[in-house]
Amino acid sequence: MFQQNRLGLGEAERARDAILAALTSTDSPIALAIADEHGVPILLLRQDGAPARMLSRARAKAYTAANLGLDTVVFRDDHVKARQRTLDDWGDPMLTTLQGGLAIVVNGQVVGGIAMSGNATIRDEALARLGLDSMGL
Amino acid sequence: MRDAVIQQLAISLADARVAVDAVLKAARPSEAPLAIAVVDGHGQMVYLVRQDGAAAVDVRAAERKAYTAAYIGRDTSMWRLQILHDGRTVADWSNSSLTTIHGGWTLRRAGLVIGGLGVSGSGNEDRDEQLALKGAEAAAQLAVDEWRTKRDPRPIRERSAVRA
Repeated sequence: MFQQNRLGLGEAERARDAILAALTSTDSPIALAIADEHGVPILLLRQDGAPARMLSRARAKAYTAANLGLDTVVFRDDHVKARQRTLDDWGDPMLTTLQGGLAIVVNGQVVGGIAMSGNATIRDEALARLGLDSMGL
Repeated sequence: MRDAVIQQLAISLADARVAVDAVLKAARPSEAPLAIAVVDGHGQMVYLVRQDGAAAVDVRAAERKAYTAAYIGRDTSMWRLQILHDGRTVADWSNSSLTTIHGGWTLRRAGLVIGGLGVSGSGNEDRDEQLALKGAEAAAQLAVDEWRTKRDPRPIRERSAVRA
């Protein structure tokens, strides 16, 4: 047997509250996904008026970041683009290279992923970063 | 001329969070951790939480229960009885997201489907259903509260200008 640190609902709720508080009137309605180390959701949220695809994307980003232990933009630039590969090489239909998903790492161990969708991908990532920093890890 | 667009009621994120919090409040601390999902009238996710220790299968089950309740427009236990009575199975709908496992409630307002709520994790589908009902009731109570704040507070006999 072994024991490992896992991300809790408490951390996810702190990130949720920080992100919702940081949104401004210029932001579009957002979707947020926070997943455990396997990419299984801990908290999903879609604001009024955000299309359903936004949450699908956020889920895929969080899944990707958690499973690969990489921010999705790093996965895109260093692992896919730089090596001239496509997502097909990974054989996992849930993976995405869309920016906005961040790996959650504690003491060198990946415990989950957090991702946003709804705005420009750079803004998505900035909001996800804010949520990650608010988890108190 | 026909209207170019229609307006449709849908559950808001705020209401979905009230419903989820009601389920969390109703669950006893000694009970197994839950996953709770609220979807809109099309079955698309609005809000989901997974308590610490709830399994991946609970996330999937909660989502499928909520989806079914919204998409079919029947609570999952009631739908189960109906298709049993009709001699059908879930496969007749050609939709792999549907389930008849108890614990999904249809959320309505003014008779229209505005969403679905699913609970999984208690270890007993009937307990899941009981807990999900607490959330559905909380969502329905919001409609009552809203009506109370919007309605004319005067007695009925004083409301009509004609009568006055």
